[in-house]
Amino acid sequence: MGRYLGRQLLTIIPTLFLSIVINFALLHLAPGDPARIYAGQDIATEAQIEATRRALGLDDPLPVQFLRYLKELAQGNLGISFAYRRPVLDLILDRMPATLLLTGTSAVIAFVGGALLGAAAGRRTMSRLDLSLSFLSYTFFAIPAFWLGLLLILIFASKLGWFPTSGMRDVRAGYTGWRAWLDVAHHMVLPTLTLVLVQMPIFYRITRASVVQQQREDYVTTFRATGMPHGRIFRRYAMRNALLPTVTVFGLSLGFVVTGAALVEIVFAWPGIGRLTLDAVFRRDYPLLLGIYLLLAVTVSLAILLTDIVYAALDPRIRLR
Amino acid sequence: MNEALAVPLPAARRRGRARAAWRAYAASRSGVIGLVMLAVIAAAALLAPALAPSDPFALGAARFLRPGAEGHPLGTDHLGRDVLSQILYGARLSLTIGFVAAGIAAVVGIVVGSIAGYFGGWVDVILSRITDMFLIIPAFFLIIVVVATLGNGIIYVMVVIGLTSWPTNARLMRAQVLTLRERTFVQALVALGESRSRILLRHIVPNGIQPIIANSTLQIASAILIEAGLSFLGLGDPNKASWGRMINDERASIMTAWWPSVFPGIAILVTVLAFYLIGDGLAQALSPRERQSGT
Amino acid sequence: MTTPNPLLHVQDLSVVYRAGEGAIHAVQDVTLSLERGRSLGLVGESGSGKSTVAAAILRLLPENARITSGSIVFDGTDLAELSDRNLDRLWRWRQLAIVFQRSLSALSPVHRVGHQLDDVLKLREPGLTEAQRQERIVGILRAVRLPDRVLRAYPFELSGGMMQRTMIALALLCTPPFLILDEATTALDVITQAEILREMERLRAEFELTTLVISHDVGVINAIADSVAVMYAGQLMEVAPKERFFSAPAHPYSKALIASVPRLRGQSGRLTGIPGTLPELHNPPPGCRFAPRCPHAMPRCSAAPPPLYQIAPRHTVRCVLYDQHPEQRP
Repeated sequence: MGRYLGRQLLTIIPTLFLSIVINFALLHLAPGDPARIYAGQDIATEAQIEATRRALGLDDPLPVQFLRYLKELAQGNLGISFAYRRPVLDLILDRMPATLLLTGTSAVIAFVGGALLGAAAGRRTMSRLDLSLSFLSYTFFAIPAFWLGLLLILIFASKLGWFPTSGMRDVRAGYTGWRAWLDVAHHMVLPTLTLVLVQMPIFYRITRASVVQQQREDYVTTFRATGMPHGRIFRRYAMRNALLPTVTVFGLSLGFVVTGAALVEIVFAWPGIGRLTLDAVFRRDYPLLLGIYLLLAVTVSLAILLTDIVYAALDPRIRLR
Repeated sequence: MNEALAVPLPAARRRGRARAAWRAYAASRSGVIGLVMLAVIAAAALLAPALAPSDPFALGAARFLRPGAEGHPLGTDHLGRDVLSQILYGARLSLTIGFVAAGIAAVVGIVVGSIAGYFGGWVDVILSRITDMFLIIPAFFLIIVVVATLGNGIIYVMVVIGLTSWPTNARLMRAQVLTLRERTFVQALVALGESRSRILLRHIVPNGIQPIIANSTLQIASAILIEAGLSFLGLGDPNKASWGRMINDERASIMTAWWPSVFPGIAILVTVLAFYLIGDGLAQALSPRERQSGT
Repeated sequence: MTTPNPLLHVQDLSVVYRAGEGAIHAVQDVTLSLERGRSLGLVGESGSGKSTVAAAILRLLPENARITSGSIVFDGTDLAELSDRNLDRLWRWRQLAIVFQRSLSALSPVHRVGHQLDDVLKLREPGLTEAQRQERIVGILRAVRLPDRVLRAYPFELSGGMMQRTMIALALLCTPPFLILDEATTALDVITQAEILREMERLRAEFELTTLVISHDVGVINAIADSVAVMYAGQLMEVAPKERFFSAPAHPYSKALIASVPRLRGQSGRLTGIPGTLPELHNPPPGCRFAPRCPHAMPRCSAAPPPLYQIAPRHTVRCVLYDQHPEQRP
């Protein structure tokens, strides 16, 4: 197990480093003069701009700046946002809980729902359930998430009025305590539904294919010969074998939980990292944008590592070879 | 026939094989439906100048005309532009980006994968590590970052999408090459003195390319969705008609006029679905086992 | 030909597979009899239908296959008449068990061997306590000469031979009187194969088993069978005691089969194959299915399937060449 993890780290660490290098490169390739921006574009004099440049060390040679960048990263300093004039890390941490609530919930629901439906379809291939679910899975997988969100808002919030059209809370009502949580939950329904609908198909398809393959495995025949009922064979043996690929995909998708769903957050005006990203894009706030990207690279790498650990725990063939 | 002795086929046999593959593809219902859908979309894109009622960028005085209005079968948007025309021209952008991005991903993937698989040794180790690294890099965000920092021309978008999606193709190709390398006909060619690069280029790659083709349809679909997302964020090429941009432009007024936001979304859905179905048909045609249980 | 009070008697069994537009007549009118305590070897090339017979006996046929005629009488009960539930609860594994050809996934790859053995025993003998089950399992492992550590191992950690011994142990868990070995040694190297066959002989005596040994390898049949039944293209061609089968085979196909085995000792000769190919089972020839390849074929061979002729005690053959004998099929 240790050796296996060691090998995985050997890939992940260079990748992280590559992401950092890409980040740094883009920071410097991006148009615009950071010194001018920090000093205050319209009002600073040339002398002030030069002073800012020297103070921030922006006139040092690139390798020096890169090393400084690495040092700052190690200290958790992701730079200062151009637009907000606050540390990037603070801005990200402010918004993270809202995003995690949304994407975490939808990831889990999509995984569980997709796996259950996929297993049901895989055990009864070519049935009406299977055919209709498979058709739906193709369709929802083809729908752009942001458009689906708009559609749901149009139908359920605007026309039917069952749910709020945007935001995470009803700011005017000023709820407290459990009522506040209920309010958040109420606001969460449509965005979560959007994310669940577009993420479920992949879990569904993988589980279904995996279950179909497991039904053909020899151990199923072995246990049938002993008179073991189909249901027991499935619950005790086939399901665990079949879930391995799905668990892998779920684990990988968790890497995107922190920064993912940017487009859906924008559509629903959800105060998460997605909105922050859009702001950063439009304001050409490169430190913020690249800080978010780096965060994503780190969480994806962590998710991959975690998934590998879980997979090795589930599949003895991986950890014992 | 003994597979181990299979040699590259003469032209006539190749035609027979191609016809058999086509028949297998045609047997797949989803494959046929997908192909028909794609044909319609491609026709719409190609014939856009002829089919479109007006110039997609032509501002008009008649804003928010309902679908079915005179000269505007799908209505107009908040600037009076004809929705149908924008959709027809948007098809050009989507299909172009889809095919070019997937094409880049395919070429890079085939090159990296076949070299890694064929030459083995430390070449393989290095190339596989690089492949894994690119797999781990979060593609969509990188695309956003690159397009935001470097520029939003359509070329940038296509190239970046292509350069972030090649790893799966590389992996597929490498696996194929590893199997083919051991086949008797390859070893016979080596014994005959064929140069390694010729063997790779003319014999191994053409025989191993099938999974890349199936995977490429998925990548075209994915590229179209990515481009839609980029345009929705305002990062697309502002000079081109784009379905994603249409949705973004019109979403502020969706409560009063739903059609300029809804129809482009349907267009994306239908196009992406077409490629999924084609991919399904290809998978069923290329691997007989899929036929029994696929839907 | 029926032996008095056989443990298993299969009469006129026919199995048809539905495939695409047509039907494959995989097994046609096969009659077999197994005496208690004896071992019947069922031999034939790939596609002869022998594994289908085994699957039919245990009701393990795939969805698209159907038993179209015949009876399978086990110890007085027609298995074909039983409900699925009864067959599962009362007969499977406790009366009839099977060992398949070695495969990488004959057991679940992600569960330990011991867990799976215990699970099957728990299923079939719910009255036992955990300690009693453990005792039984360890006992059977000893009997098949496997170390205890196999219980904590995963299937992929076992060698081919150990895996087959495990599958034999699994089959003997409920000490069934009847065991089918379906190409059980085919995927093993010759040395391991010989070991396993020797073990089987010993276990047969120790557990008083009646066995049906299915193989395409006449050598395997020679090693552990008391009588031999030959199948070709779904039809039963000959049944004989082993010694008579190898010394005086009656059916032309049996002769060709034995002759085609290369000899390690003695004169070196040419490899003799059997000219021709298996018939299409969508459209099988109406009479004897070997007729198209048979050197002695006559017109009446293809007209209708020949009856079984008894040519000696316990020796029957389905071939018109033996029509001269006064005793007809009983």
